[in-house]
Amino acid sequence: MPDSNLPTQQTSGLGGFVGTSVRRVEDKRLLTGHGKFVADVQPEGCLHAAFLRSPYPHALIVSIDAKKARALSGVVTIVTGAHMEKLTNPFLPFATLPGLYTPLYYPLSAEKVRMVGDPVAIVVAVSRAVAEDALELIEVNYEQLPPVANIDQALTASSKPLWERAKSNLLFDHTDTFGDVDSVFTKADHVFTETFSCPRQSNQPMEPRGTLVEVDPKTGEITVRSATQSPHMLRWMIAAYTERQGVGRSVKRFAGDKKRRSRFLSGAKSFLAEKGEALKSTDNAGMIYQMKMDPSTMKHMSRTMTGVAGKERYVKVVADDIGGGFGAKGSVAREDIAVTAVAMALGRSVTWIEDRVENLMDGGQAREERMTLSIAADSDGTVRGLKVDLIIDQGAYPGAPVGAALTTRMMQVMQPGSYRFEAFQQRSRIVCTNKGKYVAYRGPWANETWARERMINVVARRLGLSQTDIRIKNMYTEQDFPAAMLTGPTLDVTMSTRKTLDRAIELAALPEFEKERQEAAAQGRCLGIGFACYHEAAPGPPNYWESINPGTSALLDQPSRATVDGDGRVTIFTTQMPHGQSHETTFAQIAADQLGVDIDDVKVVYGDTSKTPFEMLGTGGSRGGPVGGGAVRKVGRALRKELVNVAAEMLEASVDDIVITKGNIHVAGVPSRGLSFGQVAARSLAIHPSTSGDANPVAFDVRENYTSAGDGGWSVATHVCWVEVDLETGFVKIPRYLVVEDCGPIINPAIVDGQVRGGVAQGIGAVLYERVAYDDQANLQSTTYMDYLLPTAMEVPAIEIEHLETLSPGENDFRGVGEGGMIGAPAAIANAIDDALASRGVTITEQYLPPSRILELAGIIEPD
Amino acid sequence: MNDEASPNSQPNANTGGRYVPMGGTVRIDCVINGEAMVIEAEVRRSLSDVVREEVGLTGTHLGCEHGVCGACTVLVDGRAVRSCLMLAVQANGSTIRTIEGLADGDTYHPVQAAMHDAHGFQCSFCAPGFLMTTVALLERTPNPSEAEIRAELSGNLCRCTGYQSIVDGVTRAVKLINASGNAGKGENNA
Repeated sequence: MPDSNLPTQQTSGLGGFVGTSVRRVEDKRLLTGHGKFVADVQPEGCLHAAFLRSPYPHALIVSIDAKKARALSGVVTIVTGAHMEKLTNPFLPFATLPGLYTPLYYPLSAEKVRMVGDPVAIVVAVSRAVAEDALELIEVNYEQLPPVANIDQALTASSKPLWERAKSNLLFDHTDTFGDVDSVFTKADHVFTETFSCPRQSNQPMEPRGTLVEVDPKTGEITVRSATQSPHMLRWMIAAYTERQGVGRSVKRFAGDKKRRSRFLSGAKSFLAEKGEALKSTDNAGMIYQMKMDPSTMKHMSRTMTGVAGKERYVKVVADDIGGGFGAKGSVAREDIAVTAVAMALGRSVTWIEDRVENLMDGGQAREERMTLSIAADSDGTVRGLKVDLIIDQGAYPGAPVGAALTTRMMQVMQPGSYRFEAFQQRSRIVCTNKGKYVAYRGPWANETWARERMINVVARRLGLSQTDIRIKNMYTEQDFPAAMLTGPTLDVTMSTRKTLDRAIELAALPEFEKERQEAAAQGRCLGIGFACYHEAAPGPPNYWESINPGTSALLDQPSRATVDGDGRVTIFTTQMPHGQSHETTFAQIAADQLGVDIDDVKVVYGDTSKTPFEMLGTGGSRGGPVGGGAVRKVGRALRKELVNVAAEMLEASVDDIVITKGNIHVAGVPSRGLSFGQVAARSLAIHPSTSGDANPVAFDVRENYTSAGDGGWSVATHVCWVEVDLETGFVKIPRYLVVEDCGPIINPAIVDGQVRGGVAQGIGAVLYERVAYDDQANLQSTTYMDYLLPTAMEVPAIEIEHLETLSPGENDFRGVGEGGMIGAPAAIANAIDDALASRGVTITEQYLPPSRILELAGIIEPD
Repeated sequence: MNDEASPNSQPNANTGGRYVPMGGTVRIDCVINGEAMVIEAEVRRSLSDVVREEVGLTGTHLGCEHGVCGACTVLVDGRAVRSCLMLAVQANGSTIRTIEGLADGDTYHPVQAAMHDAHGFQCSFCAPGFLMTTVALLERTPNPSEAEIRAELSGNLCRCTGYQSIVDGVTRAVKLINASGNAGKGENNA
């Protein structure tokens, strides 16, 4: 039998891990059943929580009677909404926009439910089964209200407002204009308009959400273990939302605690010194509007902020293995706060592991948007102006912290895509309905690509151009740079969409396909091909975030830390929070290359807020490779310098002559007289003895702050999808799928390919299988995997990937690739189906195209 | 899993009331990963809950608890079953294999080795189910076609990979096993 346990090192020499498909460090535990997911940890005596959820989309809670449930053997406590309001603060707005009203809401609903699955009570019992038994014994008396089920109902003036303070279900309505739109639309030869819609989708990581609040019975210290993409954010949010002390007491406590005060003030001072300039651009108009709409915002903000500052002890958040997230676990859940508050009140450990039905109701939904696009174009195919009317259905509760508000901004900034429009205007509206909360889902802004790339094809067909020719005609080329998008962000060579398009056209062999299409048509078969192009900020130029939300970029530095202990072992501490992206492998590759060691000699630490540097975001936004990886490279380089300085002195050589090979620090050409990391660490400790008192103290401790460099940071791709539409069954087959992408130099090709394919698979799901279905009364219809269909190995074809690796002038050149697959795929697939059905006079304007809809559109069956 | 005792079987005195298991408990004799066991479990409990909480084998994961996602797949007498849909009492007298029983010490089972080589998984929450499904498939069908592999794996959901790397892993496993003339440590070698 072949050796199945080859060492991880697979390169011929050191310094060459980056760029190779090093096999995953994580596999050792994850392939053997020894991963540590949140449901796998249950301390002795741990109690189990379950939530009672509303069966109605919109109703008043007249009364709740939990007497029978409390009497059930094994039930420890039951907390209902009114009680929860005494234990917690409401969720507060994170991203405010001028003119946006963000509703405030508590972990449990006390007076009114606004969606099916709205939590109204939490039961804590000796087991989950008992907790669930108890749920059935709680009697809730609801008085139903008229539901608001969709965008049209929400826009109806007579619809019952979900949030009284908003006075209607339209929460935001704002228009931005870039360039002289009126003139361009007047002067262009044609104006084409089409309305596109996308139904509600759901992230659906295979591991549902879960949070274990572990209370140390001896010290009272609290550790929150959670499946979270953002451990530090969860820690702060828990601190903020479980702090019930009045402002006066918090201020007094803060003022009276000299140590805490000076630490807080010095932290604030250094942050302002560094970021003051960037923060100046912060626009407070959004918060001022919010305070006007809901004056209680001020009271709650004061309490949470002074509470956080004056807190004696924060909880520690620990995240170990996480079974996927796709944005949903970047949200801080109402359930997280509820479970923590109850565990704190009880002084006992409590775990909550969500089940799939809950996840489909309240685990996060996304992308329900309707967009009307108008393109002003000349007869030769030049697209000149773009107008967009966007409406986002954010459901009942805004995702916290990233929800519809930030998404409208990202969609707007990215909407013009890789094309040279002269003018652009976008109206953005956010409505609320009685549906699940809207969260970020892998490329949260992706529907701008879907609608734009569909519309480009619409224009091409109306002008008699091919879908490739219209793109070639209008797309930025390398010669155009430096340039800027109409919406602000700088474009440089990394915005190489055109290069991916050219290569995709070559690989697609279009003349052969046209022949094949005609032969197939002669046999009564229906083929189509679809192109889609995009660029995404991964991480984007420095002015990307300023274009989205001024002041935000001040919060986006990536701190990192690297240590060498007395035995010479290297540890990298990252703020990134892996949940499938293989950071332990890729970061070890980067650090090993910088330090001249094997990747097995580098340990990557993440997820534990007592160990990792502070940063709010964790993992999201395709930032792991570029910003997380850039930070590791920078801190690795700094650590190397320190090691070399000490070694040069020991070897009586110039630092310039020192090299490190296979962990041997030596003068170039004299490896036999080299030093190990352990020897250099010992020497360093001899010069600077440790005061830590640790048995194995840290000899080198380097901290660096990384801000992505350069004017680019774009990750781009062209997707090409081939379809065969079966007009008997309506079933769409995908015989071929091609992605030509450019994310710059690749850290680990196998891992990048996996990210691309996984994203495309979610795009296939979005178009052909997945829909969070609500009826016209806002009753949820898809609460199991028999109703919400995820694509299987039978539905996702092999996906061809071609990489271009454009270098940028930036210091660090990894670019993100996590979201792209999902951004490009829905547009390419929809364009292919549109192409296949073109001869039947069909124009695809909906993203969800199950077999029944295909047959309706093709005129084979009557619409319902 | 820190503690194999579940709160069910050992109610904490501080809970304010003694917990009486619903429907009583039942004795289950079975062999799990080669080890004979006697388990006392509530009649209503699923095999997955008992394997995870009573036996402490948390490698078997729960993704949907309604028999669709396949993350909880274990082998019962050589057949791949969804342990979330099977009551533990039904496993009385059975031989059960879980993900923890695949590797031989530090040596991967060929299916694990092949998945490692193929970069089969990402978050890997679904991996135990896919691995057990694959082991069952290859013990029954030593040379499956790609279509057979995809059909067999279609009972397991993965949200990260798009499946290609997993299919590739199974293909590699077939080669590994056939090259060694050994279907791993399975008792039911075809």
